[in-house]
Amino acid sequence: MKRDKKITQLAKKLVELSKDNGVVTEAKVSEVLAGLKQAKHRHHLTVLKSFLGYLRREVALQTAVVATPGALSAAALKEIEANYTKIYGRPISAVTTQDTSLIAGVRVRVGDDVYDASVAGRLQRLAENVH
Amino acid sequence: MTMDTIFLAAANPAAGEFAREFGFNAKLIFAQILNFGILAFLLYRFAIKPIAATLDERQQKIADGLQYAEEMKAQLAAATRERDEKIKEAAADAQRILTESREQSKEMIEKKTQEAAAQAEAIIRKATEATEQERKKMLSDVRQEVARLVVATSSKVLSRDLSDAEKSTFSESAAKELANN
Repeated sequence: MKRDKKITQLAKKLVELSKDNGVVTEAKVSEVLAGLKQAKHRHHLTVLKSFLGYLRREVALQTAVVATPGALSAAALKEIEANYTKIYGRPISAVTTQDTSLIAGVRVRVGDDVYDASVAGRLQRLAENVH
Repeated sequence: MTMDTIFLAAANPAAGEFAREFGFNAKLIFAQILNFGILAFLLYRFAIKPIAATLDERQQKIADGLQYAEEMKAQLAAATRERDEKIKEAAADAQRILTESREQSKEMIEKKTQEAAAQAEAIIRKATEATEQERKKMLSDVRQEVARLVVATSSKVLSRDLSDAEKSTFSESAAKELANN
């Protein structure tokens, strides 16, 4: 139990070290992993798993996953990034995924928050409001 | 001639001749009186007194019997009165019980009638509520089904009929909408 707590604290600290100006960057993560390799931690596998989990969570919080059935202009993505950076008070980068089930429109997910402006979502809400 | 005359004649010497003529002998008379007294005493002692005692005893028994009979008569009368009173009380009680029973049965009939009416009303109310709930559920199911069909149909129609350019335009517009929220 005590060991798990220490590993968790170490993983969180490694995540903080992986940030550059509050943003997790690939370069910083590589540096952290290199340092971890050199340190040869006694429970390196457990530390790595915990670090990966917290890193994924941090990346998800810094990423706006924009689902859309077709392509989206770079300007629109920039506007989305700017808006959610302002809303959450931290740098948010947008990545797009293709989802044809949306028919048209976009659905943005930041961490556990979902913002839906798709045709499928609107139809679904319409159906839910009927009854 | 009375005895007083005879005694006077005996006491009077002049009259002794007269007494002898009639065979009067004072000793004999005295003896007779003594015998009579003894006989009277014996009779009184051994006959009259026991008989009198027996008579008194019988008289007492008769008096006791009469008194007992009177007491019995009084007791009988009292018992008769008591019985009559008890009969009256019993009759009154029976009447009261009958009246109470009638009232109770009347109240019970009214109560049962009210209960039956309340039960009937409750059954009707429940049935109405169940019918209403069933109707609402059916309506909700129909709405859900209609909504599902509308959504499904709309999705298919929009997917088929919207061109890529229209989808792109809508997506750009939606992105701006989210960006401006």
